[in-house]
Amino acid sequence: MKNSYLIIALALALGACKSETKKEGTTNDASKSEIQEVNVYTHRHYEVDQMLFAKFELQTGIKVNVVNAKADELMQKMTLEGEQSPADVLITVDAGRLVRAKDKGLLQAVDSKLLTTIIPSNLRDEDNQWFALTKRARVIVYDKDKTNPEQLSTYEDLTAPKWSKKILVRSSGNIYNQSLMASIIAHKGEDAAKTWGENIVKNMARSPQGSDRDQIKAVIAGEGDLAIVNTYYIGKLLNSKDPEEVKVGLRIGVFFPNQDDRGTHINISGAGVAKYAPNKANAIKFIEYLVNEDAQKVFASSNYEYPVNPAVEVSDLLKSWGIFKEDTLPLSKLGENNKKAVLVFDEAGWK
Amino acid sequence: MFRFKYLRRDFNTWSIYTLAIVAFIMIPILTIFFKLFSGPGESWSHMIKYLLLDYSLNSLYLILGCTILTLVFGVSSAWIVSRYKLPFQRALEWLLILPLAIPSYITAYAYAGFFDYGGSLEFLLRNIGLTSSKFSVTNIYGLIFVLSISLFPYVYVVSRAVFLYQSGRLIEASKTLGASEFQTFFKVVLPMARPAIVGGLVLVLMEVLNDYGAAKYYGVNTFTTGIFRSWFALEEISTAVYLSAILLVLVFAIIGIERFLRGNRSYEISGKSDFKLPKLALSPGWRVLVFIVVSIPIFCGFVLPLGQLLYWTVLTFSKVASLSFVTIAFQSLGIAFLTSLLTVTFALLVVHFPLWNRIKLLSKSSHLAILGYAIPGAVIAIGVMIPTLHLDKWFIKVGKQLFDLDLGLMINGTLVVLIYAYIIRFIAVAFNPIEAGQLKIGKSLSESSRLLGKGTLKTFFKIDLPLLKPSLFSAFILVFVDTMKELPLTLILKPYNINTLAVKAYEYASDELVMESALPSLCIVITGVIPILFLNRLILNGTK
Repeated sequence: MKNSYLIIALALALGACKSETKKEGTTNDASKSEIQEVNVYTHRHYEVDQMLFAKFELQTGIKVNVVNAKADELMQKMTLEGEQSPADVLITVDAGRLVRAKDKGLLQAVDSKLLTTIIPSNLRDEDNQWFALTKRARVIVYDKDKTNPEQLSTYEDLTAPKWSKKILVRSSGNIYNQSLMASIIAHKGEDAAKTWGENIVKNMARSPQGSDRDQIKAVIAGEGDLAIVNTYYIGKLLNSKDPEEVKVGLRIGVFFPNQDDRGTHINISGAGVAKYAPNKANAIKFIEYLVNEDAQKVFASSNYEYPVNPAVEVSDLLKSWGIFKEDTLPLSKLGENNKKAVLVFDEAGWK
Repeated sequence: MFRFKYLRRDFNTWSIYTLAIVAFIMIPILTIFFKLFSGPGESWSHMIKYLLLDYSLNSLYLILGCTILTLVFGVSSAWIVSRYKLPFQRALEWLLILPLAIPSYITAYAYAGFFDYGGSLEFLLRNIGLTSSKFSVTNIYGLIFVLSISLFPYVYVVSRAVFLYQSGRLIEASKTLGASEFQTFFKVVLPMARPAIVGGLVLVLMEVLNDYGAAKYYGVNTFTTGIFRSWFALEEISTAVYLSAILLVLVFAIIGIERFLRGNRSYEISGKSDFKLPKLALSPGWRVLVFIVVSIPIFCGFVLPLGQLLYWTVLTFSKVASLSFVTIAFQSLGIAFLTSLLTVTFALLVVHFPLWNRIKLLSKSSHLAILGYAIPGAVIAIGVMIPTLHLDKWFIKVGKQLFDLDLGLMINGTLVVLIYAYIIRFIAVAFNPIEAGQLKIGKSLSESSRLLGKGTLKTFFKIDLPLLKPSLFSAFILVFVDTMKELPLTLILKPYNINTLAVKAYEYASDELVMESALPSLCIVITGVIPILFLNRLILNGTK
């Protein structure tokens, strides 16, 4: 008899431990009705975002709760959470992921005049389920002392024999490469895209490794002549705390490919309102806030991204690289072709 | 034969508890296992055609390379510090464990930065008037080196224990019979230490196969990166589960080989701990040489990455250090503390329930509970998520229907699910020292207590628990350090508005801000170093 009392006590003690941890989680839910808040699932973890979120809190009194993770993981989480998902807003750093989120029924249509007037139509979903916040261009960079930019023309030209063993690019696991491939599939078809991939692999200076920054450094180190990278990282390099990285940034030139035909491939960072958003009105307010002129200015000046709000000028640094023609392919195509792109990469042997 | 009447005779309440706790820990693993029967995803043939060979070869190269390197680093350094008199003897002994304090993905970041263009190596070489040659570490060879240099202490610790406490008499006998130092080592000491060394090696290989951060950063495709890719990029859980299954087969093959090699042989020498062979003195020349040899793994595994982290921290401190950073640090510590407490409790139950239950088969099944350590964190995360979500949804339904309450998710997205997953992953870490401690205590004391009329639980609390204290303590510390370092599982299950240092470091690094990742990394290293030093002292005191 004595034994069973002790067991019960033990079980209760264990139970107590657990319910305590539970409480921490549920207090959020309980207080939902009293405190105005918006729950943001975001792949962006930049300081500038936190700054903007804080400003938003101050202006509106709506508390911003942030979950940071990779977009894929966030979407997996939202899928599993289903109707109970606390997510209000999903932010990704790539259009393809937003399209996938839409396809999986994770987002809902938003009726906001403000958003549809500010954001150009190719930079948002046709059903208004997601909207771009910022833009980045995928460009070619070169060593100004070594390579003459007049030799450069298009993404397709990078497969020419003159660039044999000269091309530096990161792995196909990277979403920016997947989106570039998806855009080529959209413009030229799957077979041409596969041939392009195979020929780039032939021209690679080394097996794909490292980040965009590493590709830029490898150009200056002389491992290859050209690197395919996002503009965003050139800005990061130029403003690095490491003086060596700044030196690298100063030595490279930026080339915008395909200016005479479809334009340079761009990608976006964007946001959508979650299907089961418990705070839908706040979520819309939140996205609207991020595309207003003030917020866009902050994005443009401190995070080296191109603003989506046409009223806001690009920063001086970005201007110094030149004005360029953008590929106006509806970004939803990037999402539609994403899986095909992943498979084409594997078939082309692009690691 | 197994007979029902025996079953009835042997059945007691502890059988139920044993079963319950094993089920609690096994459910997520079984979930993944049963997903196997739902067939492979549509990309499986694509996977076989283009990727599987690459994954298999890379994983095999990693296993082979890391086996060789960790053995070389671990066994040689263990032999040297346990056999010869060296300057700074005691310091060397614990310095050799320290590489474990740096998670391998962080060592990987540091090495990449050190050998990078414009990196520290170039800077140092330029200062002494040399221009550097290009040398890239971000490839499979670099990955093998980085993983080995950060994991070899697993081999070192077990080898040293054998060399110090079990080999003395044999070495003496061998030397008396005229064998040279060389012969003694290879013919007597090494064969006898083999089971222990292989045991340490198995731990290394589990970590190698679990690694996600380092392989991802170095662009090496392994099974684990493949699981992440098919899970998230291709969105095919079934393909990911198939890859996990192959990975598990690999893991079980390694464990099987270890069991086979160990066979039924027992190398235990009776009266092992009372005799300690005096250490040999070396001629000055040899002394310097040997000292350098043991310093190499310390330098490569700890000093160099730490130096790189410190340099980066100096550059970025003002940017990274903030109130929110301090909050994250405390959250990390709090989560690790709670996890360790609960994991040790569960491990204690898994060790003791089977002792009290009389059905043999059930007692054996308790060892299944420690499988989690062999399963990659990402796989466990999803395995935990699927059943707990069902439970969550059921709670919500019941809450709605019976009490008209909107409960929301009570398990997922909270600490409960994260800690549950941690317990499954790390229970083996706590189980081993506790089981070893319990074996050392033996049954006689508790049996006497029972004979004298005390109940099972009273005996447990009055006899076993106090005697187990040192084992519990080391179990707690080991789990604590592992939780602080854990990455893939935390990434997936981390609750709202809570962050850990490991996740923060990973976020910075994956966002191409590897310099900024230095401060959180450094904090993980510090929390890892302190308990390791403590543990070393505990081991030394315990064996004296």
